[in-house]
Amino acid sequence: MTDQKPIEALGRLEAEVLFEIAEAGDANQLEALRIAYLGRKDGRISSILRGLGSMAPGERPAVGQEANRVKAVVSQALEERERSLSSPAASSTEDLTLPGRGPWKGGLHPVTQTVDEIWHIFRDLGFTRARGPEADTEWYNFEALNTPLDHPAADEQDTLYLVDSVLLRSHTSPVQMRTMETHEPPIRIIAPGWVYRRDTYDATHTPAFMQVEGLVIDEGVTFVDFKATLAEFARRYWGSDTQTRFRPSFFPFTEPSAEVDVKRVITHPDGSKEETDWLEIMGAGMVDPAVLDNAGYDSERYTGFAFGMGPARIAKLKHGVDDLRTFFENDMRFLEQFAR
Amino acid sequence: MNVSYRWLKDMVPGLELTPEKLAEHLALRGAPVEGIGSPGAELGDILVGKVIEAAQHPNADRLSLCIVDGGAGHVNVVCGAPNVQAGSWYPFAPVGAVLPGKFKIKKSKIRGEVSYGMLCSANELGLGGEHEGILEIHGDFTPGQSFVEAIALDDATLDVEITANRGDLLSHAGVARELASEGEGRVELPEIAGDPSVELSFDQSSPEARRGQLGIRIDDADLCSRYLGTVIRGVKIGPSPAWLQQRLRGAGSRPINNVVDATNYVMLELGQPLHAFDLNGLAGTSIVVRRRRPDEKTFTTLDGEKRFLKPDMLLICDAERPVAVAGVMGGLDSEVEDETVDVLLECALFNPKSIRATRKALVMSTDASYRFERGVDPEGMELAVSRAVALILATAGGELDGPVLDCCPVGFQPETVDLRLSRVEHLLGVAFDADRVRELLTPLGFDIVDESDGTLQVRVPGFRSYDVKREVDLIEEVARTHGYDNFPSDLGAYRPGTVVDHPMFALEDELRRSLAADGLFETQTPAFVPEGEGDVRVANPLATTEPFIRRAILPSLMRRLEYNFSHGNRDVRLFEIGTSFRSAGPGDPPFEETHVAAVLHGLREPAHWSNDESPIAIWDLKALLECVASITYGADPVLAPVSAETGASETEPVDTEIGQGMFAAGMAFDVVLTDGYIVGRGGLLTAEAVDAPAWAGEIWGLEVKLPSQPRPSETVTFLPLPQFPAVERDLAMIVPDGVLACDIAALIRASGGALLESVELFDLYRGEGALRSVEGFLSQGARSLAYRLRFCSPDRTLKDKQIDKAVGVILARLKEELSVEHRG
Repeated sequence: MTDQKPIEALGRLEAEVLFEIAEAGDANQLEALRIAYLGRKDGRISSILRGLGSMAPGERPAVGQEANRVKAVVSQALEERERSLSSPAASSTEDLTLPGRGPWKGGLHPVTQTVDEIWHIFRDLGFTRARGPEADTEWYNFEALNTPLDHPAADEQDTLYLVDSVLLRSHTSPVQMRTMETHEPPIRIIAPGWVYRRDTYDATHTPAFMQVEGLVIDEGVTFVDFKATLAEFARRYWGSDTQTRFRPSFFPFTEPSAEVDVKRVITHPDGSKEETDWLEIMGAGMVDPAVLDNAGYDSERYTGFAFGMGPARIAKLKHGVDDLRTFFENDMRFLEQFAR
Repeated sequence: MNVSYRWLKDMVPGLELTPEKLAEHLALRGAPVEGIGSPGAELGDILVGKVIEAAQHPNADRLSLCIVDGGAGHVNVVCGAPNVQAGSWYPFAPVGAVLPGKFKIKKSKIRGEVSYGMLCSANELGLGGEHEGILEIHGDFTPGQSFVEAIALDDATLDVEITANRGDLLSHAGVARELASEGEGRVELPEIAGDPSVELSFDQSSPEARRGQLGIRIDDADLCSRYLGTVIRGVKIGPSPAWLQQRLRGAGSRPINNVVDATNYVMLELGQPLHAFDLNGLAGTSIVVRRRRPDEKTFTTLDGEKRFLKPDMLLICDAERPVAVAGVMGGLDSEVEDETVDVLLECALFNPKSIRATRKALVMSTDASYRFERGVDPEGMELAVSRAVALILATAGGELDGPVLDCCPVGFQPETVDLRLSRVEHLLGVAFDADRVRELLTPLGFDIVDESDGTLQVRVPGFRSYDVKREVDLIEEVARTHGYDNFPSDLGAYRPGTVVDHPMFALEDELRRSLAADGLFETQTPAFVPEGEGDVRVANPLATTEPFIRRAILPSLMRRLEYNFSHGNRDVRLFEIGTSFRSAGPGDPPFEETHVAAVLHGLREPAHWSNDESPIAIWDLKALLECVASITYGADPVLAPVSAETGASETEPVDTEIGQGMFAAGMAFDVVLTDGYIVGRGGLLTAEAVDAPAWAGEIWGLEVKLPSQPRPSETVTFLPLPQFPAVERDLAMIVPDGVLACDIAALIRASGGALLESVELFDLYRGEGALRSVEGFLSQGARSLAYRLRFCSPDRTLKDKQIDKAVGVILARLKEELSVEHRG
């Protein structure tokens, strides 16, 4: 021992003790190690420190410094090992496959979720939301929208009346007129809301349902803008490779009028792709000048487009719900499927 | 409209598209096809059979015993109809065949004779016809060949959806015109077999046309602008020839007899409804077109229904009385029947609005009224009469009696509409030159009569005179025929609109998300409710059991809860945001408010092995109601307990209609604003309010009316965080019966001084007469409430002495003002 240099001896001692600490399996072993190395009486490091007095004065400071460093390292290693041994992760025998504990899950109705998805896309395209009453007058529901009551077009939606000339709106289009009456162009809105029709409940009809109306009015809005905006919506909603088809149709308050169909591309789990059939998603068109005139807008100066879609129908297609009535049953087991 | 594929092909020579391709084409022209059917779809098992022998059934007078060659040898068939003849051809259903209506033919013994199949009548095959006998078919057939092919029922019937503006498409000629305009094709009217090619002359005058015995007078020219009538004498009523029946069946129409079929054929071909009267059923030979007279109260239409006539209904009358409801349906007394010999053929033009009002008042719709409502070609009437006369002469014989009388008080004047090429580009975003516009519009029947300075003068054909009246109508035709898909779809720049996002949407979104995060599921329920749940009545309700629209949302939610119970769902937490309707007085639109409602039942959190399974309790409901109240009204509202004794909260109620009578007194809260308005209620629902199964526990509900505009949210002003440590003191208090927790907390706050930072209740015992306290026993009804008080100073560390002093003040005032004793 005497022929060994004390500093080298301390180095070996350090390596030895750190190894033993790492190998220690429980707190008792650690305690034994602590006594063996750091014990006041016979601890090997303590002994070295105690023996400093008998060393040559020239060696003393360097050995003392090194011994104190080793003592600190060992103390810390003991502490860390003790912590790691006592931490529950290392020692617990709990069955962690047991379920976690938390509050009830809730969620939004699938049709609301669809309305929100539609809204978020149009919000990104610069639209805001407008609303109007659900019980409205014949003027707002029909006449202001270029639909004379004595024209068969007024029959397309069998209307529920409250009293003479007051009805439950059969579409969200009355919001078009109500918005134009109170605002100057440019108009760029959607109007989600309930509409009512005298339809018997069946798999594809309910007498009340959500609709999302849209209206854009400004100078220089053309049929090209109309097509582009709705095609962009379709791509954002159903995916970038969604195709859009515009078919001529008839709505008294738009001209030209169109039905908008989409053809989606479905990617199967095996990576193969498949095109769907054309699905009709909305009725739309360029706002009829008569509607602009009724709103007091200059129809020679302003043009625009309008559209309306049924989020329940879109949700039905999207989620594979085969009967619209399911949305009204509100069975918890159904609603829970749409919770996130 | 049902369109026969074969008929269309006859009218558009060179049309090579399959029915499916044709459907796609029509869809892109604005007339989508809803479905493609086959008139012979259910008749695949039916064969052509030849009767070899027909003899009297030995054991039954009314039955005959036939030997039929159905292709697979001769078989015995017992037949009940009297018209079967040896050597003739009939539809034959062999054993195993299935007839329309899923009726399967079996081998059977009838009065001792075995029958191996059935000879069929038109009715049994679903082919209509008024004659009850077995359907005899004429032609050159092979026994056992397919009946459907034999009579050319292998047509395709396209169910074409015609929009309300396109009355001109309610005919094969109209649909053919759309198809022909795409290519070089022209619409051709098929030749009528046996057409005697009689040259018609038209004798026009107004307001009365008369020649010989026949006279036509229009009294109300505002409702009938033109009436053509002609008499054919000596017709022989019978079934139409096979080709005509096939055409009608292909178009989804049932053959009746040759004269009626001729009028239907022309209507389906050209869109002009016609009517044939039995001249012998009319008093005299004069027709008067006029409004109903006050004494004419009822009229029996040819379907045998008694119709109640109303003023302003237009009638076709003979010398004495009405014989038809104009443009809707003829009368029973002048119906063309087997015995009819002389017919009067009517071809008229009625006012679409008048026809619409009449048929709506009569609650009926016919093929004729449907077309008149949508507009019939005023320039096609002569042609329609010519076709019908030719058909009748060819199929029923007879002779034309004189010229066609043409009573025409209001002649048709075609309109010319100006079309600016600049406006076309303004609206469509693509420039079209005059040549292109001409190319697009001319094949549809439009005529460019003049062109100058970029403006075209376009003459509108009669059949489009109802829907093309303005420049924009022509622009739509340009876009439609150019093809919507041929326009570019480039997203351009846009300006933001002037409409700000309606703030109620954001409020509703916040409520929705908050309630969903609290474990509730959003529902959507229709607004229709039974009597007692609303005060706004629907005039024409869908279901007589739900004739009102709702005043509150909660009852609808409770029905959803009951639905969930009946499907075995025990843990049910539902909410909905919807519209409440309140009567605003007779004749006015109702007031509308937005309400949020919720209903809860079951465990307060999911069952877990580490938890007690505790049900939702009043404290859960209270916190939820507070949450809803603070989202909707900010810091304003307080929850006022509804007293068990009075059933009302202490506040003077201003609006107590929400949830009235639904909540258990003493277990409910009013949501009260500082101005005294009650805007909501929540609490325990009474047993009467919900139809719950025996296993159900307590059911909780709430309903809160949202403000019409969200309250402006208050800006939060930052409070500096304390720099010095807080000191806590726990105080347990014995609270006598009747003293409320809210009053204690308020008094603690009021008496605690500036250093008191917070007061928090952390424990509660209820006295049952045996609980020990420092003073002895807690009396019945008394409670022990323990509060944790936090004291803090902004500028120094507090000393015990200061806190002791503050606590002393609090305890003294509690004792003095509320008789609340400190328990130590």
